[in-house]
Amino acid sequence: MKTPYEILEVTEHASDSEIKQAYLQKVKLNPPDRDHEIFQHIHSAYETIKNVTSRENYALFNYPEADFDALLEQAFSTTQPSIMNADYFDKLLHASIDDKTFLIGNLTNTTA
Amino acid sequence: MKKKPLSTPKSSVTDVSVLENKALSKLNAGQYKEAIDLYKSLLKHANNADWRQALAQCYLQRALAFAAKGMVKEALVLWENYAQNAEQPHEAFDHYISWLLQTNDMAKIKSCLGQLSAQQLDEHYPELASLLGLLIITGKISCQDMLPKDSVFMMHLGFVQEALSAYRNNKLEDIEPALKKLPFRSAFRDFRTLMKAALLVPESVEQAQSLLAKIPDGSPYHQAGALLLAITHGGAALINDLLQLTPPQIKIIEGAKNFNKKQIELLDVLTKQKDRLSDKVKFNLAIQYQALFGTDLAQHYCLAALSTYPAGQRDFSKHFGTMDDFEAWRLKALMCERDRDFHGAEYYWQQGITVLKTRGADGAFKIALIMRHIAAHQQTPEEAVSWLIDSLGHDPDDRESYVKILQYFERQEQETDAYKEWLDKSIKKFPNDVEMLGLAIKAATRNKAFKKASQCAQALLKIDPVNTFAKQVLFTSHLAHARKLIKSKKFHLVEKEIHQAEKITIGKRYQTQAQLMRGFFVFVAEDKKQGSQLIAESVQKLNDGLVCAYFCATLEALLLDLQSAPILKELPPLTKDYVMSQQEMTQLIKVIQQYADDDNVSQTLLHKSLEKIKAIIKQSIKQQDYGEELLLSLCQCLERIQHFELLRFCVKIAQPLWLKPIWMYYRVYAEVNGNAGKCSYMNFLRLRDGLNNAQLEKDQRAVALIGKFLDQYQKSRQPSGFNIFDSLFGGIDDEDPLDKLFGHLPEDLYDQLAEKTIQITKKNPPERMLKILAAEYLSNDVAKMFNLLNDDPEALFAFLMLKSADDLGIDIGVTAKDIAECFEGQKATSKPASFPFF
Repeated sequence: MKTPYEILEVTEHASDSEIKQAYLQKVKLNPPDRDHEIFQHIHSAYETIKNVTSRENYALFNYPEADFDALLEQAFSTTQPSIMNADYFDKLLHASIDDKTFLIGNLTNTTA
Repeated sequence: MKKKPLSTPKSSVTDVSVLENKALSKLNAGQYKEAIDLYKSLLKHANNADWRQALAQCYLQRALAFAAKGMVKEALVLWENYAQNAEQPHEAFDHYISWLLQTNDMAKIKSCLGQLSAQQLDEHYPELASLLGLLIITGKISCQDMLPKDSVFMMHLGFVQEALSAYRNNKLEDIEPALKKLPFRSAFRDFRTLMKAALLVPESVEQAQSLLAKIPDGSPYHQAGALLLAITHGGAALINDLLQLTPPQIKIIEGAKNFNKKQIELLDVLTKQKDRLSDKVKFNLAIQYQALFGTDLAQHYCLAALSTYPAGQRDFSKHFGTMDDFEAWRLKALMCERDRDFHGAEYYWQQGITVLKTRGADGAFKIALIMRHIAAHQQTPEEAVSWLIDSLGHDPDDRESYVKILQYFERQEQETDAYKEWLDKSIKKFPNDVEMLGLAIKAATRNKAFKKASQCAQALLKIDPVNTFAKQVLFTSHLAHARKLIKSKKFHLVEKEIHQAEKITIGKRYQTQAQLMRGFFVFVAEDKKQGSQLIAESVQKLNDGLVCAYFCATLEALLLDLQSAPILKELPPLTKDYVMSQQEMTQLIKVIQQYADDDNVSQTLLHKSLEKIKAIIKQSIKQQDYGEELLLSLCQCLERIQHFELLRFCVKIAQPLWLKPIWMYYRVYAEVNGNAGKCSYMNFLRLRDGLNNAQLEKDQRAVALIGKFLDQYQKSRQPSGFNIFDSLFGGIDDEDPLDKLFGHLPEDLYDQLAEKTIQITKKNPPERMLKILAAEYLSNDVAKMFNLLNDDPEALFAFLMLKSADDLGIDIGVTAKDIAECFEGQKATSKPASFPFF
């Protein structure tokens, strides 16, 4: 579950105007007539942190979520560079066979 | 003992026929094992080609069934049996080869592959070709020499090896041309997709993922695709992928992702635990692998996880230090709120507030927010407002709190000094706030402070020039002031006031209203004739019918302490046979209600204004068919202005026509002039029935009105202090007449009789019931019955109990004489509510 800051891609120290800019940018990319649900999501995030009072309210009354997935995301980030070369490609092909039975799919599809 | 004779040829033929039918039926039923035995038996009788073919089919179907269960060796033997009994070409030859590949029987594999034609490999056996392709390029088998040299498969294999060679020699630019030579129908189609996806990693992960989604589940390359897809994933998605893989496959992913020792260690824990990660394990992992998660994130996670794993508190403090006092209270309060324990939450928030009080301005703002938060969870508006008021002591600029406080006070039945005080404070704080000004206008109008109302309305119009409410208030204020000036004969100021009202652009009707006021001004100050004409013209413009015009003109004249006769003379005469149309009646109701809303118009003035037209209203009700809804609206309006004469008349006409319980209410209400204390016992019973019916019909309006009336009736019948003494000392006279009469009855018999009384009252209307009771028990003396009821209505219940007992043939040892003696001269001291059906 993303926080409103993550949805709008702003830091927790962003100013009102920075948050508004980020919101408008997001709405431009996701107008309500394209996908209303995504727009609602963005709009709701903006309403939650749009000014000092709403941000303080969010900080005070939002129960912190124990998001283990966020920890995993941090530990095994998608941005971590992967190695892919002919050697690994061969390994993939071999690993594919070692664990596979050679049975050919559909039994009804018998051929004469 | 005689020997059994040998079977005749005839019986032998019969046996074979039976056997054949049986075999065929087993074959059709899919019972191939039994069918095989039967066909084998048949073939012992004769080498019948059909039977052999059927036997072969049975073997083939059994082979495929075993293969599907993974029993490849059995499948191979069965297929070979099939081949021995079947003519060429053999079915499922590709399956047979694939089973051979799984058993690694190279001699047979080579023999079979040698039998394959180019057409079979390229066209008939695409799945076998795809599998062979993967096995050849991975070096699992070396069978190229046995495959038909002229096949497309062999040509495509050359292109694939070309691409692989370019990849291995890092000549990436040569890969694409080689792959391009592989057409869509190639046995290496999925290889091409896989390799293209691999070339896109890690730069274009999303493209690679969409390519990999194209490899079908049954493809030999599907597993390789799944592994490559896992490489493109991170976080929880990667862990989910790894949970589906074998340890050697996981090793490949770890290598490709270039994970360090710590990451591999954590992965190992996670994949071993699979999806059995408890809150405790997760909490401990967050602490143990802080280096991977980042200390802040790990701390944030552990803090949140304490709600589900409170035992982690000690470890938390050990690794992240003692928790901030306020934070600890905050989390406890939020935990309570999550469990809907707002009382507990309030306690913890208050503890937090105590901590925040030591933190200066930042703390004050938080305190105010917490107080507003607590206010939102209060059960009563009083408590909520108290918290809001307190919150303004810490953050005095919160507009929302001011508005909520004002709205609370505005909703109170009587305007309090507190409301005035808060209104003044709010206006001072937010002088340009539309909502606050609106509330101030309403309050000033209510208090007849027209000057203040008009000042606020003007201020509001400066901010919002099209605000209709402000315009209406300003307009009304000008006219009210003009009226006041006319009454006090300050004529020189009147014109200006009317002009001010006319300047407000709010609609034609309002212009006519201003014209009406001008008419009165002319009538009083200048020329009576001209003024009357102007008034007559205006009231006719304002209203659709003459009756409304008469009413309006009369009322406006009365508001200025003027005689209405000279004005009404200018209106067309109301003939004796005048009947109001449905539209006119609707408008009259609307106009009466508008004036009733106006605080300047008293009920007496309204009644006086109706005096001249009430005969026509009555005549119209009598002659015109207005329908139930309109007459109900009229009754509602008349009830509001307490005009009981017209209300009685209206109900008299309407009640016999319609059955709704509300009509009974209006009838009784009008009969007693709105005084529930004057309601007769019979009417009380009628209303009780009406209330039940209204509840059944879900007529909420009737339920509310009748319920309120009955409450008032009950209260009016209770002597003052009744409840206090009764509860303290058990009543002035402990001997309740009903207890005296029926106290000896067992509870179930009492209930049975009470139930019967309800049936009797439902069966007979009240008047009839009284007559029956009087005839049966008081020698037909109805007057005596009324006297007894007048003394204490519960006498009725007593007689009903007696009748119930008589009807049921039960001797309860109570006579009519006992009841009469018990209630004679007895004033009601017991609660009518003791009636079981009340």
